[in-house]
Amino acid sequence: MEAVYIDKNIDLVNACRKGSRPAQFELYKLYERAMYSAALRIVNHEAEAEDVVQEAFLDAFLRIGDFRGDTTFGLWLKQIIVNKSINCLRKRKVEFTGLDGVEIPAEESADQEELELRVEEVKAAVQGLADGYRVVLTLYLFEGYDHEEISHILKISEVTSRSQLMRAKMKLRNILEKKGARDEY
Amino acid sequence: MSTKLEDFIRDNKREFDTDRPSAGLWNKIEAELDKKEQLKKKHKRMFNIQLWAGIAASFIVVLAVTFLYVIPAKRGRLSVADVNPVYAQKQVKFVSLIEQKQDSLQAFAKTNPELYRKFKADFEVLNKTYEGLTKEMAGSPNQQMVVKAMVRNLEIQIQLLNQQLFIINEVSQYKKENSI
Repeated sequence: MEAVYIDKNIDLVNACRKGSRPAQFELYKLYERAMYSAALRIVNHEAEAEDVVQEAFLDAFLRIGDFRGDTTFGLWLKQIIVNKSINCLRKRKVEFTGLDGVEIPAEESADQEELELRVEEVKAAVQGLADGYRVVLTLYLFEGYDHEEISHILKISEVTSRSQLMRAKMKLRNILEKKGARDEY
Repeated sequence: MSTKLEDFIRDNKREFDTDRPSAGLWNKIEAELDKKEQLKKKHKRMFNIQLWAGIAASFIVVLAVTFLYVIPAKRGRLSVADVNPVYAQKQVKFVSLIEQKQDSLQAFAKTNPELYRKFKADFEVLNKTYEGLTKEMAGSPNQQMVVKAMVRNLEIQIQLLNQQLFIINEVSQYKKENSI
């Protein structure tokens, strides 16, 4: 289905095109949380996430002429954030592949319903994942990328992307289960 | 597997966006924006300088073309010496010879006006060719050949004048003898 984007911030974006500082500040206020949170999920480091956010907003405001309006400003900005975050990880020489040790089980069905999920716990658990797992899981679940897109952006194969995601989810469940078990006693 | 976890994250995406950057981040962004804007302005001024430099450069190119091509082309039409100095010497000698002979011929003009007029016409044909060669020389790819042709032309002019002088001499001699 072809998505039709109605950007509610179109007036602010147009003001930004003319270089209006108040409009830029408005957009910053609107998006700082979502963008910082997304950057933080990927780089997992507060100072680096802030650098990413600063660079991304600067890029967005300076290259606002390149924004054609075929998506919303928010999605466009998010793309910049994701790209810059991944670049940041690259500088840190993070390997997106080659994490092994966890065998992929055929199917796991039991116990699923018993797990009570809370936002803060899931967030903490995601932060506890290794870089390679965390990035794939974040891009897939939080940013809604498919495996093809992930393979492009991380320069890995689609198969690797799928297996990394599978392992990441298992690991995440393990962490959450352990946490749940600790809470019970 | 883990569909519950996936659904939970997808349904509560917004709840996860709770982290905020430090308060000073906007000031940093604003400072960078100011810096970039100033750079842009400076760049604009630079662009103006470039524009004027461009105009000056094209003016210089026009001048250079004038000096390198147009003026030498004019000058080239004048001097055979530039092409071949030996021929230039010959040319000077021949031209003065021709002038002498023309003067001699002129002396007979009064006694033989009809004949003089005919001789003059013959001479003009050669002289026209000579002038044509002079014009051709500047633009010619083989100037040596043109200069050669010019000198050859002058030689023929002299030969012609010699013959004319001889004939006109004979005729006036004959007239004189008859009139006596």
